[in-house]
Amino acid sequence: MSTDTGLPADASSVESRRQRAIDALGLGVPLEQRRDERFDRITRLARTVFRTPLASITVLDGECAWFPSAQGFEPAVTPRDDVFCDRTHRVGEVTVVPDATRDPHYAHLPIVADGGIRFYAGAPLRDPLGNVVGTFCLFDTAPRTLDAEELQTLEDLAAWAQQELVGSSEMMRASRVQTAMLPAIPIEHRGWHVEGICLPALSVGGDLFDFQLTNGIVHIGLGDVMGKGTGAALIGAGVRAAVRSTHPAVVAGADLGSTTYRVARTLQSDLDRGGSFVTLFQCAIDVEDGSVRYVDAGAGLCVIVRADDSVERLVSEDRPIGILDDDTWTEHRTRLDPGDRMLVFSDGLFDLLEDQREWWREVGRLVADHHDPAGTLAAVRHLATSRLNLDDVTAVVVHRSSEDVR
Amino acid sequence: MIEFDVRTTDDGIGVVVPRGRLNMVAARELRETLTGLVDSGTPRIVVDLAETTFLDSSALGALVAGLKTARQAGGDLRIARPTESVMTVFRLTNLDKVLRPRDDVESAFHG
Repeated sequence: MSTDTGLPADASSVESRRQRAIDALGLGVPLEQRRDERFDRITRLARTVFRTPLASITVLDGECAWFPSAQGFEPAVTPRDDVFCDRTHRVGEVTVVPDATRDPHYAHLPIVADGGIRFYAGAPLRDPLGNVVGTFCLFDTAPRTLDAEELQTLEDLAAWAQQELVGSSEMMRASRVQTAMLPAIPIEHRGWHVEGICLPALSVGGDLFDFQLTNGIVHIGLGDVMGKGTGAALIGAGVRAAVRSTHPAVVAGADLGSTTYRVARTLQSDLDRGGSFVTLFQCAIDVEDGSVRYVDAGAGLCVIVRADDSVERLVSEDRPIGILDDDTWTEHRTRLDPGDRMLVFSDGLFDLLEDQREWWREVGRLVADHHDPAGTLAAVRHLATSRLNLDDVTAVVVHRSSEDVR
Repeated sequence: MIEFDVRTTDDGIGVVVPRGRLNMVAARELRETLTGLVDSGTPRIVVDLAETTFLDSSALGALVAGLKTARQAGGDLRIARPTESVMTVFRLTNLDKVLRPRDDVESAFHG
């Protein structure tokens, strides 16, 4: 059923669902309009292919229209009622207006009546649920039409724009979710300070870290799922959950080798199916006496910088999780005395080091040269941005104050 | 971009020679190359790493996956001549025990 406007009768419920999609994808009017090359290259190409003076990607948010990309005009936020795309959104299919001055649906629009626009073609851009979240548009100051081949090209370019618009929003959202899964605040407790960072190479990544303080035990985990991007991130979320599930046992004093074995059993089938593996360092620090229990499943990247700045590596013989079915892991022990510091990190940082053969020297300096964990982490971040991290970079720093705080 | 040299010796051993950086993109190719060899009836494979300048965790994953596939088909995967920096990656992850480096391609499956 349709009304005399040619629009679906349940337009208001479609619109409220559409607005929810805009909100969910974070496609609302931005505070500050920025050029985005991912969108601009598509509108630029459209203008060349169709030889139209104007092309845009348009998004409707509430009563406004804004332009993630615009060629041939200033992309100012515009009242929704004043744009062609409002109707394309509602119709939900490719709309071609050969001469807007002769079409009662459009003749009154300011850009037609005052702006000299005659021709319009718009293709809807949809989210995965089918909600129209934007339009891909062509405008011309002379009347014209599109032949079948040109219509196909318009739909192809629109499909590309849709992927960039919806896909990138999804990834930004995924990135926020993943960031929210990291510890929100550092641990600061009786002279102990624990803090970490995770810098994915793409929107999301396969690195993770976690720390919790329960009953005087700091349990830290730092994992690196093979690979990068979404696939690795999905497995990483599973690793974090598996490690968290062993936290009560770790705090109660359970052997870290056996808790790691439990983590491995949980992950085994997922890793096998995905053809992946995980390196995982974990430690349990007793804040009372500074004793440290640790287990290292193939990460090999942890140093302790003693109060006198000497550097020790924590070593193990154990392999990553997901390599061999009958692998086991062994708990080791060390201590963190007043003034000692520890740095655990992922191989993304390792790849950035100048000297990979004696990597612990450069890493040791990163720790020794800064008097607090935030300083060391800022240096790690600087390294990652100045040397361009191609892999996820993650690090956790532990400081024990040189004054024995009781 | 990385290049793969793939050949089969007279004894029916597949030899894969990746030249350059074995990163995530190249790792996918390596994995397909190794699976392809096993599927085509060559489950004994040597990966010659003499000309591999860099190897990341994805590449380790491809080698381990290749090892598993080869063993399932009754063969094995061995690595030969890794450079010192590549060897560091194997040592850090303790994978040097599973993928024990051999001194040369020819003897990787003998002695």
